[in-house]
Amino acid sequence: MKHISPNQVAVDTPTRAPTRRALAKQQTRLKVLAAARRLFSEQGYEGATIRDIAAAAGMSTGAVFANFTDKSDLFREIMHDDMEALTAAMRDAAARGRNVEDALLKIFMAGYTFYKTRLQLARAGFSVSWDKDGGPTLRGMSSSAAFQDLFTEQLTAAVDRGELSQESEAKLRSQMLFDTYLSNFPQAIFEGWSLDALQARARDQIRILLAGARRG
Amino acid sequence: MSAEAEPLSGPVPPRQSQKEATRQRVVASAHELFDTHGFQGTTIREIARHAGVSVGSVFTTFASKGEILSEVMLSRLEPLYAELDRVMPHLRGCTADRLRTMFAVHFEFEARHVRLFMSHIAAAYDWTLPQAARPYGRTPRLQEIIRETLEKGQADGEVRRDIDLQEVIDLVMSAYAWTYRLVITREADAKALIGVMDRQIGLIADGFAPK
Repeated sequence: MKHISPNQVAVDTPTRAPTRRALAKQQTRLKVLAAARRLFSEQGYEGATIRDIAAAAGMSTGAVFANFTDKSDLFREIMHDDMEALTAAMRDAAARGRNVEDALLKIFMAGYTFYKTRLQLARAGFSVSWDKDGGPTLRGMSSSAAFQDLFTEQLTAAVDRGELSQESEAKLRSQMLFDTYLSNFPQAIFEGWSLDALQARARDQIRILLAGARRG
Repeated sequence: MSAEAEPLSGPVPPRQSQKEATRQRVVASAHELFDTHGFQGTTIREIARHAGVSVGSVFTTFASKGEILSEVMLSRLEPLYAELDRVMPHLRGCTADRLRTMFAVHFEFEARHVRLFMSHIAAAYDWTLPQAARPYGRTPRLQEIIRETLEKGQADGEVRRDIDLQEVIDLVMSAYAWTYRLVITREADAKALIGVMDRQIGLIADGFAPK
């Protein structure tokens, strides 16, 4: 790889301060996203309209449409931002795991902790993901795939370390771990389960799901 | 004993029977529309029109669209549970195989109405739904059948006695529900869903088997 010094970069592509226009556009986007996040959390995906979102952001619907093609685009962007932030947090948490079971539990808990303050947004996300039209776009997002990969990576690393045996069902097992992680959200959303309660349940679930891949 | 607690005798009062007829027509028409257009894509107005009743009379019978969906899901499950009650006592094989058969019956049954079933899951997160009407997850009969199967497994020494059965039931239920995502992502048919569920039950069974 060619080494590029900071100076050279400065010469090749002179850093230009963003134009006032670009800054304004960026600010508009952020304002719309913040308003949309709030309304999706209060009224669900179906309940929040572009008109309401525009009003909450203090701008015209035209200004919203200048930045986002439609409501689903807006929602996708919010979910994408959250999933990226969450995947990073999960990766950090997993790195502190003492073994595969602990690492997986830390991944689960990073997710439940992240969403503890945004359960209603998670609820809107689930609603869209089970929708015949919204589902494929949400599930097909790159950030969604990266999220699932985390579980596969943990199992692969555990096989390399000799904690789990080489097996043919690794893909299904990581998929089930991911599904199980998601399936506990209704308890958190509708029944107000505490993080401790979720952790106790998740630990048992992970044990059951890993049992078949244990060595010995 | 008060008069109200007496079983009804003689002809049902006309008002009552009319209300029941409306209820049945609304449920049948909602069943059809949810199945074709999904839960979100169907309005109360369309349900009323399709059932040939007024919007007002739909609302005197049901509190919300969510309540209609709950009713649709319940009414259509009756034949499924009747079938399971008939089949389950005669099943042979290990605990995992009995669970597999049970879910195969489910997928065969649901595959004809996948759209409806997914509406059912999506609607569980719907904002307009009062908590009491949350449709998905309130399937006590299904959970009972899984529990009976697992308890028999414990008696036969195939299921650990120190395991929390409710946790296993929840795992099986979530595997069952999330398998439907394959309909969205891969347009899987009943056969494909059954194949995946069989393997998932195998993994869970590894976890509940005695060491």
